[in-house]
Amino acid sequence: MNLTLLGINHRTAPVEVRERMNIPEARLAEAVSDLVHRAGIREGMILSTCNRVEVTTSAEDEVDAESIIHRFLADHHHCDLGQFAHFFYRLRQQDVVKHLFRVASSLDSMILGEPQILGQIKKAYAASRAAGAMNGTLNDVVNQALAVAKRVRRETALGSAAVSVSYAAVELAKKIFGGLQGKTIFIVGAGKMSELAAKHLLSSGASNILVSNRTYDRAVELAAAFHGTAVPFEHLYKHLSQADIVISSTGSPQTIINKNQVEKLLSARKNRPIFFVDIAVPRDVDPTVNELDNVFVYDIDDLGHVVEANKKQREREAIWAEEIIQMEVQKTLRRLASRDVVPTIVALEDRLNHIRAAEMERYQGRLGNLTAEQRQAVDALTRGIMNKILHGPITELKSGAGEPENVALVRLIHKIFGLGD
Amino acid sequence: MHDACVWTALAFYALGISLIVPSVVRRRPSLSPASLGALGIGLAAHAAALAIEAARLHRLPVTDVRSALSFYAFLVTLAFFFVYLRYRIVSLGLFMLPLVFLLTLISALHPASSFDSSAFRGGWLLVHISSIFLGYTALFLTFVAAIMYLIQERELKSKQPRGFYYRLPSLKVCEELYYRSLVLGLPFLSIGILTGFIWASRTWKGPWELDPKILASMVTWLIYLVLFSTRVSGGWRGRRAAYIAIFGFAAILVTFVGISLLSGEHGYIPKLREIP
Repeated sequence: MNLTLLGINHRTAPVEVRERMNIPEARLAEAVSDLVHRAGIREGMILSTCNRVEVTTSAEDEVDAESIIHRFLADHHHCDLGQFAHFFYRLRQQDVVKHLFRVASSLDSMILGEPQILGQIKKAYAASRAAGAMNGTLNDVVNQALAVAKRVRRETALGSAAVSVSYAAVELAKKIFGGLQGKTIFIVGAGKMSELAAKHLLSSGASNILVSNRTYDRAVELAAAFHGTAVPFEHLYKHLSQADIVISSTGSPQTIINKNQVEKLLSARKNRPIFFVDIAVPRDVDPTVNELDNVFVYDIDDLGHVVEANKKQREREAIWAEEIIQMEVQKTLRRLASRDVVPTIVALEDRLNHIRAAEMERYQGRLGNLTAEQRQAVDALTRGIMNKILHGPITELKSGAGEPENVALVRLIHKIFGLGD
Repeated sequence: MHDACVWTALAFYALGISLIVPSVVRRRPSLSPASLGALGIGLAAHAAALAIEAARLHRLPVTDVRSALSFYAFLVTLAFFFVYLRYRIVSLGLFMLPLVFLLTLISALHPASSFDSSAFRGGWLLVHISSIFLGYTALFLTFVAAIMYLIQERELKSKQPRGFYYRLPSLKVCEELYYRSLVLGLPFLSIGILTGFIWASRTWKGPWELDPKILASMVTWLIYLVLFSTRVSGGWRGRRAAYIAIFGFAAILVTFVGISLLSGEHGYIPKLREIP
């Protein structure tokens, strides 16, 4: 096993460097094929997103993969990498495994738990496979990374809480109404933000949409886009009682919805809850409206607080996720290591068996007058000697499995016993 | 044998409850098979204990404090399973099951009474007792849903989500659970009280209407009636209704436990006058 990773990410390199090093998806196949055709490289994967560029390889045991990747990047970008060298991190062996697991699980992302990275890794993996650059250890590790990411998603709430303002509004609506099926949204004052929030609410199941705006034409336009109904601004209050969720973002200098009005709405609605998302500044909904039972008013700052709390929640979940990663890394390393060691053990046994068989053959003539019983004894004797000799090296190989020093040990054993040639 | 079963149930309940804690803390989408398994074994052992007791007494084992508490705890656990399977609320167990543990523990520590009254075999009384118990079970659920509602509502009103925000179900689900259990509980309570009246008027001598437990249960019934009718007429839901539900369950506790311990016909040491 000889895994190497060279990369930059949003923490180590500014955006200018990241975009300079970026390898666009269209050129990925060609790039990865160039990479694995370099001498000594068996497998390779290139992960290039807006937050990271990482090149991972699995190479022949004695190969210095780092400088090969280095040269590859320099060639690919036609530049001297020296000026960027200090932005790069270099990882080897188990650190590569751990890093890939963390990246796939979105623990290394700018926004903890964001889901896109998994898709990006899948794409990078597919490109490598298509280029024939995935067929051994790295293939195993990346597959395992995808499985670990799924496990993290399943067993922690790392990606569950909303970390953007518009999704926070959807999340809050769900905390109030359960599902959003059949709920009516009223957009008061058409704006980019309210449009985005409405879009998220609709895709979460909300069905009816009403739009009102001071300029009626704009309301009609937006209502058409959402297959909703436009309401003239003068009739706003008449239709407000239909709405379960009101997204308000007018440019009005004063509040347009006050406590009295909402009290009336509530009695018209038989106290069914209402959720006001007030993203206007200055605010459209009088904050005292929130004091009413069954009414929830969130202004833009409140949504921000929810996002902050959710981010902290994700950080807490990340601790559980790291534990899972740690466990999975150990498991994978053990498996890879034994896989690494098994061929050596088999070769060693073969070698000694071969010597034994050859010697037995050579002494065939002189042992010819032995009885069958004596012959069996000689056979057992030589086999016993062989096993005793094997015992030390095999135990040593197995116990050191997964340690980086083991590579040296494997090499030493190959050399001493003349294996592999 | 009975005691062994009760203690087994108690041990598995404790195990089950403690296994729920990590699932809640880690916000898992469902309870672990281990905790459900432990609670299931607890429930089975509990059922066995009740069956043994019923066989011994030849009737529903609810004739003294010990068996009544045990039976109620059993029903609450059963209700937990039903609600969990329907709603998958992971944190629900932590709201419902500590009571189960407590009641079972009190029941296990309480000495068995040797009291035996043939009056408890009457048909009316059987209906009375089982309806009341089913009603109390459903209304406990109403109480739990009201508490969960209030906590979640506070989280949402405060605009500073803390631990409960992530771990309790939506207001909608709390409200639904609350209303459904109320709709289920109120008829049972009504039947229970009505059959109680019939039975008392037939068997008791003297002014049975003034028995403190009967008065208390009338008050309880009125509270729930108000809760139900205001909800149906469309007025009250949310926080206000939740407060009344909690108040109603407090009234149940007074009726069920408080007055039973005081005195009277329902003291489980009945001073039954002449049985006709």
